[in-house]
Amino acid sequence: MTRFLTALGNEVRKGLLFAWAERLQIAIETPFFAAFILLLGPVIGSGHQIAAGHLSWTLNSHRISVLMVAFLPAMFFFFQGVKLFWRLLGEIQAGTIEQVYLSPLPSWLVAAAGRLLAAITETIFLTGVIYGLVSAFVTLHFHWTAAALVPVAFLVITGIGYSLIMAGMTLLWKRIALLQDGFLFLVMIFAVSALPLFTIPGWFAGIGRVFPVTADVASLYGVMLGHRGVTGLWGTGGLVWVAVTAAAYLAAGILAFRVLEHVTKVRGALAAY
Amino acid sequence: MTAAIARPGTRTLAPRVFARRAFANEAGKGLWLVWRRRAITITGLVVNGFFFLMIQFLIGGGHLVLPVLALTLPGLFAYVVASTAALQGAGGIAEEVTAGTLEQAHLSPAPPFLLALGRLAAIAVEGLIPALVLVLAFGLGYGPHWVIRPDALVPLALVIVDGLAYGLVMTALVLRVPPIGAIVHVFNMAIGFFGGMFVPITIFPHGVEIVARFLPTAVGTEVLNTALAGRGLGAAWADGTLPWLLVHVVMLAALGWGTFLYTVHWARREGGLSPK
Repeated sequence: MTRFLTALGNEVRKGLLFAWAERLQIAIETPFFAAFILLLGPVIGSGHQIAAGHLSWTLNSHRISVLMVAFLPAMFFFFQGVKLFWRLLGEIQAGTIEQVYLSPLPSWLVAAAGRLLAAITETIFLTGVIYGLVSAFVTLHFHWTAAALVPVAFLVITGIGYSLIMAGMTLLWKRIALLQDGFLFLVMIFAVSALPLFTIPGWFAGIGRVFPVTADVASLYGVMLGHRGVTGLWGTGGLVWVAVTAAAYLAAGILAFRVLEHVTKVRGALAAY
Repeated sequence: MTAAIARPGTRTLAPRVFARRAFANEAGKGLWLVWRRRAITITGLVVNGFFFLMIQFLIGGGHLVLPVLALTLPGLFAYVVASTAALQGAGGIAEEVTAGTLEQAHLSPAPPFLLALGRLAAIAVEGLIPALVLVLAFGLGYGPHWVIRPDALVPLALVIVDGLAYGLVMTALVLRVPPIGAIVHVFNMAIGFFGGMFVPITIFPHGVEIVARFLPTAVGTEVLNTALAGRGLGAAWADGTLPWLLVHVVMLAALGWGTFLYTVHWARREGGLSPK
């Protein structure tokens, strides 16, 4: 147990040292994401005004609050995925991931769990900063309740599953940055589609349901803005779908990581090629 | 005075032939890597196309507003070229640094600018293929009302150069700032949002529009929109966007080129061409 905790602690510490080394990046990305949320508010659903060449850029408190419910979880997901990917890639290229695998401890612990914990810790801080920046411009109205922790917990589990899939793919195929970027953008778009901001085609909603953040965002919206509980079972934000999404992503993540890691080791491709 | 000494049994190449071969080797290496990563590239293409479609629904409130698609499709083209150049340029050079092959390449008597040109050519191909496929797919699929005339090729070429110059800046910075990789994602998102892929930059509040005009590809997309609307390059010249685009492209290309040569020079002096 002590060895387990020491290894986990070492990996978390390494991850947080990475985060500190990337403080310039953090200083750049947090204001950008805050500006992105603020500017996206007036744009959504304004296609005809845009086509006519004029758009009213007033910041609507309710609309930005609704958008925050989608974007904070989506950004949590984005940051966690991007940070895990680049750090893992850096270690693969530097050859240190191969050293990590020399450890007698299980690979999921040293190659994934510690890094994930570090990325989650850093990401919680970053989303907090973004929340602070946005609320400096617009008054945000939420119904703060402990029940919101339920979809948040499922979001973290889903994120772990997704990160394990990406970690496995990174081990095997290395340069998957384009894929990572594109997929995370889709996650954001579908997260917004879970909100009652506009009507969406049925097929759009159907695809959105299988994306990792959509169900959690629908549930969070219900708790924090829709004056609903989290115990409703059915629908996109229902407890059943939220739990099924989390369980499915976690299972897929564990499976994908084990398989892709095995293939990578068999090919002798843990280090840079 | 120095003179080249050929080993017995070898022949010295004329400088022009040598330069051509060095360039071709570097470009060939890049293209071979593109081919090796074809599954990722194709998946990325599909995901980018789907992402663009989703943005259209988001902005149209669940509907596709064709005039908005026509105005933002050039932004998608520019985004794909620029983001691919930055991601693959930065990722590629980081990979070569850690593998030690960048150091090997620079043992060659070929000047660094030739190697950079070869690298850029491969990146350009990698970005242009998916960008063209996406524009053709959406263009043929939805038939935006564009006036396609030869003068549109001018902003199109300038957008491509602007995107590649941005990629070169990011590629060069990897040698001095190794964690730049993760920052590239943020810059790419900024280019996507402020560069005209969501909404035309002329729609933004005035202050944001001014900032957006400094970002890579944003003004190029605006001029391309002017040309595709059938107003001609004269209109773009008269409203000041075409002159600004020319200045932007020249400045960014000079910045990319200068940064690349400087960082390579620094890396050769300080031993930064391989992992420390």
